[in-house]
Amino acid sequence: MSFYRNLSIRQKQVVWAWAFLAVPILFYSVIRFYPTLNAIILSFQSWNLLGPREWVGAENYIKLWHDPVFWKVFRNTFVYLILGTPISLVLSFVIAYQLDKTRLLHGTLRALYFLPFLTSTVAMAWVWRWFYQPVPIGLFNNFLASLGFAQVNFLNSTTNALPAILLPAIWAGLGFQIIIFMAGLRAIPTSYYEAARIDGVSGWTIMSEITLPLLKPTIVFLVVFSSIGFLRIFDQVFNMTTNNPGGPLDSTKPLVLMIYQTAFSSFDMGYAAAQTVVLFAILLVVSLAQLRILRDKP
Amino acid sequence: MATVTLHNLVKAYGKAEVLHGINLEVADGEFVVFVGPSGCGKSTTLRIIAGLEDVTSGEVQIGGRTVNHLEPKDRDIAMVFQNYAIYPHMSVRKNIGFGLRTSSLSKPEREQRIEEVAAILSMTEYLDRKPAQLSGGQRQRVAIGRAMVRDPAVFLFDEPLSNLDAQLRSQMRLEIKKLHQRVGTTIIFVTHDQVEAMTMADRIVIMKDGHIQQIGTPAEVFHQPANIFVAQFIGAPSMNLMPGRAVAGGLEVGGTMIARETGRTGAMTVGIRPDDLCVTQDKGCFSGRITLLEPLGSETLVYVDIDGQEVVAHADGRNPPALGAVVQLTVDPANLHLFGADGEAIT
Repeated sequence: MSFYRNLSIRQKQVVWAWAFLAVPILFYSVIRFYPTLNAIILSFQSWNLLGPREWVGAENYIKLWHDPVFWKVFRNTFVYLILGTPISLVLSFVIAYQLDKTRLLHGTLRALYFLPFLTSTVAMAWVWRWFYQPVPIGLFNNFLASLGFAQVNFLNSTTNALPAILLPAIWAGLGFQIIIFMAGLRAIPTSYYEAARIDGVSGWTIMSEITLPLLKPTIVFLVVFSSIGFLRIFDQVFNMTTNNPGGPLDSTKPLVLMIYQTAFSSFDMGYAAAQTVVLFAILLVVSLAQLRILRDKP
Repeated sequence: MATVTLHNLVKAYGKAEVLHGINLEVADGEFVVFVGPSGCGKSTTLRIIAGLEDVTSGEVQIGGRTVNHLEPKDRDIAMVFQNYAIYPHMSVRKNIGFGLRTSSLSKPEREQRIEEVAAILSMTEYLDRKPAQLSGGQRQRVAIGRAMVRDPAVFLFDEPLSNLDAQLRSQMRLEIKKLHQRVGTTIIFVTHDQVEAMTMADRIVIMKDGHIQQIGTPAEVFHQPANIFVAQFIGAPSMNLMPGRAVAGGLEVGGTMIARETGRTGAMTVGIRPDDLCVTQDKGCFSGRITLLEPLGSETLVYVDIDGQEVVAHADGRNPPALGAVVQLTVDPANLHLFGADGEAIT
C-alpha cells in the first residue's frame, strides 16, 4: 500500500480511471472487438460451422458482387432506410409539435404514443400480420370488404409487402422519436417565440428559422439513430413473412435477414461474414455521411 | 413615440388575482421603471402592455389607442427580454434584422437601418459574429438593437440587466439612459433592483402584491415615501424603523425625546435613513454601543444597539469609531419619517 500512498493525486486519479476502464475494455475486447475481427477474417474463408476453415481470398466478395439476390436485398435495405427515416421523422415531429401544445390529456396521449416502443416486436409483428390477412381473418380486408371495396393483397404481393412491413416498423419507433423531439422542443426558451410574436413574423418563419434550426442537434441524433435502425431491420420482416422469410420472391428481404439465412440455413459462414462486413461498411458510411452533412458548420 | 395608459388593469390566473386594478399614465418620451420584489406583478404588467398576456379586465392604451385585443406585433412596441432572446444560430446582423422581416422597407433600406442601429450601439464590427462569440454586454446590445431597429413607439425592458455582472450592469445602465436621452422614445423598464430604478427613471412605480405602492420621481420616493414598504424598499441600506410615541410637544423614540411636531398623539413608527443618522462627538439624540462596522471607504456603516434595538448609522470613513465603543448619534428632526399604525406616511 505504501506504493499507492506515495503516488501524486494525479497519478492516483489515473490508477483509478484505468481500474474502472479495465472492466468495459476487457468486456468489449472479448465480446465485441475479437468477434468483429474474426468476422472480417472469416469473410475471406470458407467454413460450414463444423469443418475446418479454409482460406479462399476474396472469393466470398466476388460471389456477393455477382449474386442477384444480394443486389435485390441491397435495394430493399435502402428502400427501408429511404422511406422509413424521413416518414418516421416527419410524423414524429408533427405529433410531438402538436402534443407539446396540448394540455388536455397530455400524459395519456404521450403514454399511448410511447406504448408501441415498449411492446415486443415479435408480438407486434404477429398482430399486424393478422391485420393484413385476407377475408375473413384480416382486420383491414374485412373493413375494406364491409365498405364494398376489393381486397388488398398486403403481404403476398411483391409491390405491397415491403410498405406493409415498413408501416408497423415506423409505428413502433414513433414513440421514442416523439419523446426525444418533445424534449428538444421543451429546451427552446419561450422568450424566443415571444420575441418573434412581437416582431410579428409568420408561423412558417418561426418554424423554419427558429424551431427547426434550434432542433438541429435533436434531428441529427434521430436521423442517425433511426437510419441505423432501418438498415438493421429484421424482426418485423422475419415474423411477418414467417412462411417464406423475406418473401414473396425476396421482395421484402433486408440484408440482415439474408445474412441470417446464409449463416444458419445454408451454413455458409464465410459468405455470411462477407455480407456482415458489407453491412458494417454501409452503416459506417451512412452514419458518417449524415453526421458530416448535418453537423454545424463552423 | 407614444403615451401609455393603464386603466383599472386586473389580471387573474383562474381564481388567483395577481394584479388588482393598476392605474398609470406614462407620458410621451418618459422613462418609467417598475420596481418591486419578486411576484409583485411588475413583469406581468409589462407583458400585458406587450400583449403577451391577456387582460382580465381594465384597459391598456398605447398612443391613445386601446390595444387590449391587438396582437403584440400591431401594438408598435418592442421588447428586450431578461435572457435577451437572441437566436444563437443567427449572426448579429440577422438577429437585429429579424424584426424587419415584416416591414415594408426594401433590402438596401433594411441593411442601412441595421448598420445605423449597430453604429449607435458600437456593434458594427461584430455584425457578422454569432451570439456565442459575444460577451454578455454585447449580447445585451444585440437584444436592444433588435428592439431599436423597428423604431417602435414604446420600448419595454423586462429585467434586461439581471444576467450581467455588477460592473457591466452599471455600465449598461448608463448606456440605456444615454440611449433614451438620444432617441427619446417612451421606455417602460422592469427591475427588482432599486438602484437601477433610482438611477435610470424619470418616474418610479413601486409595486407590491399586485398593487402600486407609490408613483413618483426618484427624489420623491426616496425623500417622501408613501408608506413603510416604499421607505424600506428604496435606499440602501434600508431605512431604520423604531417604535415611537407622539406626545404633546415632541416625539418619544429610542428612550429620548425629540423636538418634532407630529400633529397628532399616540404610537407611531419612526423611520430614519442611515444617511441621516450620524455618529457625533457632541451630545446627540441617541447613544448606544457599536455591534458591527462595515467600512465602505468614503464612509463607514455603524450598527449601533440603542436600548435593545439595532440601527444603522453612518460615520466618517477615515476616522471610524471602534467596535464596542459607546457613541452618540444625531439626527435632524426634520428628516424623521413618521408612519401610522396602518403603515402609511403621516404628513
